[in-house]
Amino acid sequence: MAILEVRNVFKLFGGLAANSDVSFSMEQGTIMGLIGPNGAGKTTLFNCITGYYPPTKGEVLFKGERIDGLAPDKVCKLGMVRTWQKVRPLAKMTVLDNVMVGALARTNSLRVAREIAAEQLEIVKLGQKARFLAGGLPIGERKKLEVARVLATKPELLLLDEVMGGLNPAESDEIIQLILDIKKRGLTQMVIEHDMKAIMRISDRIVVLNSGEKLAEGLPQEIVNNPEVITAYLGEAHV
Amino acid sequence: MRTSPYLAPRGSTWLPLVGAVAAVAVLAAVPAFVSNPYVLHIMILLFLSVIMGSAWNVVGGYAGQYSVGHAAYYGIGAYVTLIFMTQYQIMPWWGSWVAMAAALVVALVVGSITFRLRGPYFVLASIAVAEVIRLTVLNWKSLTNGAEGILSGPIPRITIGETTIRFISKVPVYYVGLVMVVATVLANLAVQHSKLGYYFQAIREDQDAAHSLGINLTFHKNVALGISAVFTALAGSYYALYVRFIDPSTVLTIDISVQAVLICIIGGIGTVLGPVIGAVVLVALSETLRSNLITDLLISLGAVSAESKVGAFLKEHLSHAHMLIYGILVVVVILFMPDGILGWVRQAMRRRAQVAAAAGEKP
Repeated sequence: MAILEVRNVFKLFGGLAANSDVSFSMEQGTIMGLIGPNGAGKTTLFNCITGYYPPTKGEVLFKGERIDGLAPDKVCKLGMVRTWQKVRPLAKMTVLDNVMVGALARTNSLRVAREIAAEQLEIVKLGQKARFLAGGLPIGERKKLEVARVLATKPELLLLDEVMGGLNPAESDEIIQLILDIKKRGLTQMVIEHDMKAIMRISDRIVVLNSGEKLAEGLPQEIVNNPEVITAYLGEAHV
Repeated sequence: MRTSPYLAPRGSTWLPLVGAVAAVAVLAAVPAFVSNPYVLHIMILLFLSVIMGSAWNVVGGYAGQYSVGHAAYYGIGAYVTLIFMTQYQIMPWWGSWVAMAAALVVALVVGSITFRLRGPYFVLASIAVAEVIRLTVLNWKSLTNGAEGILSGPIPRITIGETTIRFISKVPVYYVGLVMVVATVLANLAVQHSKLGYYFQAIREDQDAAHSLGINLTFHKNVALGISAVFTALAGSYYALYVRFIDPSTVLTIDISVQAVLICIIGGIGTVLGPVIGAVVLVALSETLRSNLITDLLISLGAVSAESKVGAFLKEHLSHAHMLIYGILVVVVILFMPDGILGWVRQAMRRRAQVAAAAGEKP
């Protein structure tokens, strides 16, 4: 059974269709790349899936159950959680406290949450910064903090919105390794990314959005050779 | 699991505890040594401010929802207690619980409506709600006596076993206030060191991030407001029993709401100790201004003569200027100590520790 199924999702803002008839499904333990030019509707789709907007039309099924229309906190409790393209650290709280907030989704005990949070910080290699205020971290570490925080909620499906955006190549490599490690633990991930090399390396399947519609879906090598995708990115002349 | 060294608790945990116990012990001993009713009066005003500030701190400081309508809960606390006592002869120690329950119910209704709003819109809505409640009390004359207010007789005495407590002197009122202060500060401490506190602070820092991490925003904001309203009502109830006269223009005005906010801003928002410090500063300031202490001091120092025009002017007007000086104080604090006095002190200490550490590394 698919862990996530998106069925004919539409999201209209007035007359503008940010998502239009998008459908796909994801198998457990895989990584799905979600790509498309700027304004293609990738983040809107994340918002529809995780409950920030109810889809105007269509259904979202997580582990076989309808979740469209559920609020983000309910979706998180069910085991699906997202990160933010524009990172959202809880600035005046420490790095450890940030991750503890995530961990508290699964426990009422601060002691247990602290242990879970410490584990996640080790995984993303932010342990030494545990006592620092999250607002003082540089961008690379903020992105890692976002990942640690969502991991602490014990999710089954992670939606990562441009976790490599704004990072230098060394930092990007670390994140790629992190995503592959998370996959090894059996978690499912959907990744929005602009770095094509990275997305080709990590994705099992790729969905391409363009102007709100699904342009193509397939294995990474199918996507790079798809003329429609090349047209969308580079224009007619390059096909 | 292996516990990393950086997760070990910082500093000593018993030192603040010892300090707090000592402070309460000293305060409890005060009436034994001080019989001057003016001093006890000031201490009672201080207790009242600490309760108000600490109560507001739960929703405003931790959860970051800047309500400027807490006069509503203060007024409900005061009115329910006195109405029950004067009209139904219900003892205030029961009436106070009813008052707190009433404030809780109103808070939950108000919260579920206004917490859809964020930022400045929420602030405006909270002011509007408090005004609605003030006008209701003003016009519901059969119950509240309208603008005339409610004047109550003496508080009935309590007899516990052999001892009878009479509320004729200020001493029993003082102890009741001290117990309330301890309860309110402990409530803040409990919030800070619990899941609730983490969730409140997450909501304060970033609502959308908090939402995505499994936090039910409306529910937790309502819990914060509920706790805050209950203790604010307790403060109102305490005020009513101490002064024994209330009317809409003393317990339901925006001044009360603003005062609760100022205590926290000046002392340090979102900390346990901040509202206590803020209350001390504000009560000390308003009393020195009101009692003409500054003018007397200037005159006794010979800086101005009592007969001169300046001396007369100061004597005449300085005591009425306390709101102006409040205002200046707030501007100064916001500009130079954005995290309040406590935040400023902590930052200074951190800086000194860093300087000391740097000096230690390079002998």
